[in-house]
Amino acid sequence: MILKEYFKTNGLMMGWILLGLTFFWIVMLIVLPQLYMFELSFHPHLPPPEMGGPNDYLTLENYKYLAFGAEGNPDGYNKVDLAVFIRTLTAAAFVTVVDLLLCYPIAYYLGQSTGGGFVRLLVLLLIIPYWINEILRAFAFKIIFGDSGVLNEFLMFFAVIDGPIDFIRANVALYAGLGYAYILLMIFPMYNVIESLDRNQIEAARDMGAPWWMIHKRIVIPYAKPGISSGCTMVFMLSAGALAAPQILGGPSSLWFTQLVYQWFNTGGNWPQAAAYAIVLLVACLIIVLSVMKLFKVNMGDIGK
Amino acid sequence: MKSESLLIRIGLALYLIMFFTYLIGPLILMSITAFNSAAFPQITPWEVLSFEWFPKLFNDDRIINGLKYSLIVGFFTVILSVSMGLAGALILTQIWPKMRATYYTIIIAPILVPGVVIGISTLVFWARINTMLGLEPDSFLANGIFLTVLGQSTFIASYCMLVFVARMQRYDTGLTEAALDLGASHVKAFRRIQLPFLMPAMASSAVLAFLASFENYNTTIFTHQKFATLTIVLSQKVRYGIDPSISALAFIIVCLTVFFALLNEVLNRRKQLAVANGAPVEAVTKGFKLPRFFSGNPAAIMFAVFVVGAIAVITFAQVYDPEPAKQVFKEDKRAKQKIAIEVMQQKALDQQREKQMKGPKIFESTDKKKSGENPGQETFGSVFKTDNLEEAAGTTNKTEAVGKNPGKSAFGSIWKSGNLDEIAPKDEKGESN
Repeated sequence: MILKEYFKTNGLMMGWILLGLTFFWIVMLIVLPQLYMFELSFHPHLPPPEMGGPNDYLTLENYKYLAFGAEGNPDGYNKVDLAVFIRTLTAAAFVTVVDLLLCYPIAYYLGQSTGGGFVRLLVLLLIIPYWINEILRAFAFKIIFGDSGVLNEFLMFFAVIDGPIDFIRANVALYAGLGYAYILLMIFPMYNVIESLDRNQIEAARDMGAPWWMIHKRIVIPYAKPGISSGCTMVFMLSAGALAAPQILGGPSSLWFTQLVYQWFNTGGNWPQAAAYAIVLLVACLIIVLSVMKLFKVNMGDIGK
Repeated sequence: MKSESLLIRIGLALYLIMFFTYLIGPLILMSITAFNSAAFPQITPWEVLSFEWFPKLFNDDRIINGLKYSLIVGFFTVILSVSMGLAGALILTQIWPKMRATYYTIIIAPILVPGVVIGISTLVFWARINTMLGLEPDSFLANGIFLTVLGQSTFIASYCMLVFVARMQRYDTGLTEAALDLGASHVKAFRRIQLPFLMPAMASSAVLAFLASFENYNTTIFTHQKFATLTIVLSQKVRYGIDPSISALAFIIVCLTVFFALLNEVLNRRKQLAVANGAPVEAVTKGFKLPRFFSGNPAAIMFAVFVVGAIAVITFAQVYDPEPAKQVFKEDKRAKQKIAIEVMQQKALDQQREKQMKGPKIFESTDKKKSGENPGQETFGSVFKTDNLEEAAGTTNKTEAVGKNPGKSAFGSIWKSGNLDEIAPKDEKGESN
């Protein structure tokens, strides 16, 4: 019934092409790969010929490994991996909060200005770093924060410090690089929302004697909530899932959780274990994002606007 | 009251300056390092203005191959993700309302899923399909380009879909109805009315898809197999030792980005100005009138300055020969080094004398102590040495230079890995696979 209507609207061939493409996208690219990876994470690590053989069984081993480590682990828990996991999530949250604080004023300024040539130029300047390759952005921070990097040379030249500071080991470079990489994804959702805010509302509040922080608290922030949450979601998910920046800017002693996944996958060749770690990362991120969205009463549909 | 607003203004200006320094500063610094002849990308100490890293970049086979694979992957990704994004957006407008929210959540989800997860799931899923169909392990289903295109399209199609949905929200359905009333079939109405309306969205989503594909790392690192795209090659280079030819590439990319961003801005602004002045667009786009082109269009002025600057730099690079300046610099360095060595020797002598006065026991161990007491200076010394050897011996003797100063300092080790990288690119490729 409905299909008949559908084919009448689109024509037989066009209708099938549209259906086919969407089907391919949803089923073959989105749903099935994720489900298969989920299923794979419950299998032991076997060479390909033995897959589906008698040695293949469903097991929680891979998840147990993340929680408790290898068998006979004296610690009881897999302290190393769990610490990496928790540090990744807290660091990603930290980066998100810093980006939010950094970007809110600029988004407000750009959104509320009347839009002369100067503001257009600023918007242009915002976009340019975003189209530079992620690797190159990390590379720029390596140049700045390295042992003989620009910052160290600069500080030493003015005799602020005696010897070079190891910014890489202290993870300063990593946090600065991550915050930098996704800053635009924080600004633009907020900017888009604030731009549509009626300036008269702010004028009215000001006329009634509200101080500037009250105007933000009662008018701008509630109005911009979808933009803020959408920006925060993007930045959090992307920094928690970042791989290039931690690989390039991360200290030698501190790993990012995605690096563990990468190690299991490429160096270890243990696909089920990597799949289990990836699933844990995905689920943890989704839980955090969804609960924060629930807390601030924002819908999924607002994301990506 | 007035002083308060002034304070706010100053605060805002400072904030804007700091913010944009954070945003643009790293890119400028990185670009500058491309013109320093020093072997490590650095601004201080500045050696000699040099363009040598650009030819080196263009002669790097791995970079050129990476660029080739990136373009191939980008081409197919654009086709696949734009068509899937368009199909997804069209279905979204027609799907029965109860399903709409679920459907939208599913097709928007890939944006939020970490790229690492998409990469792994794509790889394991298609490997499984491959074995299920009983194909060889090296069939096209396991091909790196095929997998990368699929993996990237999974989430890039969502971006494209968003672009189409945004455009469709402005579509007046009355147009389709009018066409239907005038006797067009549904198919014809779609093809002649709605599809042309979506054309601008198609162009912008194609650009977006290509850029997203070109710079993708997280997904591609898992799916690329032996077809390392430009981003992958860059990441390997940056991780295993950096040299200024990467800065040169970065400089080129920054310039291209600025060029196209300004060009886009100029064209948009011109159209806007024309419309604002009440003139038909063609009137302004047709004739090239210089003064009007610039009036009220700061982007246009910047664009012109940028183009002129680029041409000037390129001509200068053709004429400029860094060798004499390098010679001077080398002499200078040698002289400084000589002084440094003399100072060191003098110091050592003084110390020796002092210790001799104190007693014979300490004298025995002075040799060891001498090296221990001046670690910083030695580090410096070795850097100079490596550099000098390199310059004297041309490019071929790099390994020798390193071999003679095996891992003496932090600089030395960075150098070493960089050199190994160039000399044995195949080895590294094997490693990364």
